[in-house]
Amino acid sequence: MDKSKFSHWFFIGPHIILFVVFILIPSIYGVYASFTNWNLMTSPTWVGLDNYRTILTNQDSSFHHEFFNGMKNTLIFVGVSVPLMVAIPLVIASAIEHKKVKFKNFFQSIIYIPGLISISAAALIWSLIFNSQLGMMNNFFGADTVWTATQPYAWMTIFIMTVWGGIGGNMIIYRASISNVSQDLYESAEIDGAGPIRKFISVTLPSIRFPLIYTVVMTTAGAFNVFGQPLMMTDGGPRESTTVLMMYIRDLAFGSGQSIAGMASAMAVLLGMVILIISAAQYYVMNRNSA
Amino acid sequence: MNKKYNVSKYLAYLFLITVCLIWVVPMIFGFTTSFRSQSEVVNEGFRLLPISWIVDNYMSILENTSSAPILRWIGNSLFISITHTLLVVVVISITGYGYSRMRFKGRDVLFFTLLGISFFPNVVNIIPLYRIVDILGWVNTPWAMIVPGLAGMGNIFLVRQFMKGVPKELDESARVDGASDFTIFFRIVLPLIKPVLIVGGLFSFIGSWNDFLWPVIVYTDVQKMPVTAGLLLLQDIYGNYQMVGQLMGSAILAIIPTLLLFLFAQKYFVSAINLNAGIKG
Repeated sequence: MDKSKFSHWFFIGPHIILFVVFILIPSIYGVYASFTNWNLMTSPTWVGLDNYRTILTNQDSSFHHEFFNGMKNTLIFVGVSVPLMVAIPLVIASAIEHKKVKFKNFFQSIIYIPGLISISAAALIWSLIFNSQLGMMNNFFGADTVWTATQPYAWMTIFIMTVWGGIGGNMIIYRASISNVSQDLYESAEIDGAGPIRKFISVTLPSIRFPLIYTVVMTTAGAFNVFGQPLMMTDGGPRESTTVLMMYIRDLAFGSGQSIAGMASAMAVLLGMVILIISAAQYYVMNRNSA
Repeated sequence: MNKKYNVSKYLAYLFLITVCLIWVVPMIFGFTTSFRSQSEVVNEGFRLLPISWIVDNYMSILENTSSAPILRWIGNSLFISITHTLLVVVVISITGYGYSRMRFKGRDVLFFTLLGISFFPNVVNIIPLYRIVDILGWVNTPWAMIVPGLAGMGNIFLVRQFMKGVPKELDESARVDGASDFTIFFRIVLPLIKPVLIVGGLFSFIGSWNDFLWPVIVYTDVQKMPVTAGLLLLQDIYGNYQMVGQLMGSAILAIIPTLLLFLFAQKYFVSAINLNAGIKG
């Protein structure tokens, strides 16, 4: 009988080791490293709040410029892409769930498939589409726009590719939630004389509020980690106007020169704090307003 | 009444067909361009179908095994994703069992503590994680992508939730009959939680196949990298769209494995996404 007292370690022990080595230690060390001068190889030297002071207040420092430019661009990406990645799949899901629409699964599959394509493969195709000489876009519309090197087109290419590849999951969630809404609610709304838009706002939306909260929070947290699309579509240009914070962090820590991992860690901690605060705020606001 | 539904039905169709066209045109364009010659791409402008279909692009892609070994990259990705997926299924099933069926002091406190820590944004741990993987000697090896992801809590949470729906009476009565935890786990629980394991496995496969940031950081050896990181190099190798067919062909080859997986496992995908979001499908 004594043996069974410890057998739970056989079940949870291996994962705890993995968790400690690959999540707990790196997280703690990431925060610690942000207070140090570290080149990723030798042991870090403690510098207190110096990294944060440089990033946040030293206007002459390139780190200061990189952080605020990267944060600004990341926030632009989050602010534009998240509403698109919620609203567009919601409209598509509503159309698919229209009572009389057939081929529901076919439509769903077509929209979902780009989500299975890796960012780099998708970016190769989209870069060609937006290529100023060879691309479909300019050929088709008879234009000569240099899409990825002129604003606001550079951002547009990033958003188009992001929406194309990123809405499938949310669409499936909305579709399932909408189909679970009780028909009685729609019927009684109809008796009250509600049109389709009125029904959508006062029946559908409140009924799917939990999946909505879930998708908004998850999509936002994911969007803050944006990296691949700007890297491959615009390489951060023109003039660093699409360089997001993850790109600076990666360059500082793993770029070609000497690694500046301490400074990069401080930027990562600041980004992490913004993600946590915004996720918590979203959850709080949406949960309260819909209760 | 019926007439109103018909108008909105046609609007819905019109909308969906337009969206679907926009969605498939890039894929068709990429696919057909991979069969075009460079001179046709440059001179003929936009056409959905090539004037003459050629396979030369694919021949030259497959011949380039030094700077852009695409088949090797796909092989690396397959090895990484399949191994990772199998290990995920093992880890989440035994760990999920531990946190839902084993009785020990502080079990739920421990579980929710780990879950809480795992919400810590992973931008913060990515730099030290590189150092740890480096110390383990895993940089430029498949293990850099296979092992760290096994520590995640999301799928274990799913399995634990799912096990709550499996009647406890089944294992209680087996326990009365003298069955050990191992017997109960393998004989009774494992077959019952297969659906949630498929879900976890599927997402782990797609997640690891499409992972981009981490492989870009952790692989510098061209022969060792997975296909996502490899494709990043192609814009330089196939010189700034001087070899468009090769670029598109490589992208198409990289897409095929997950597309096949989707075609065969489509119904699991839908239930997987909904299970993740806590919706009954």
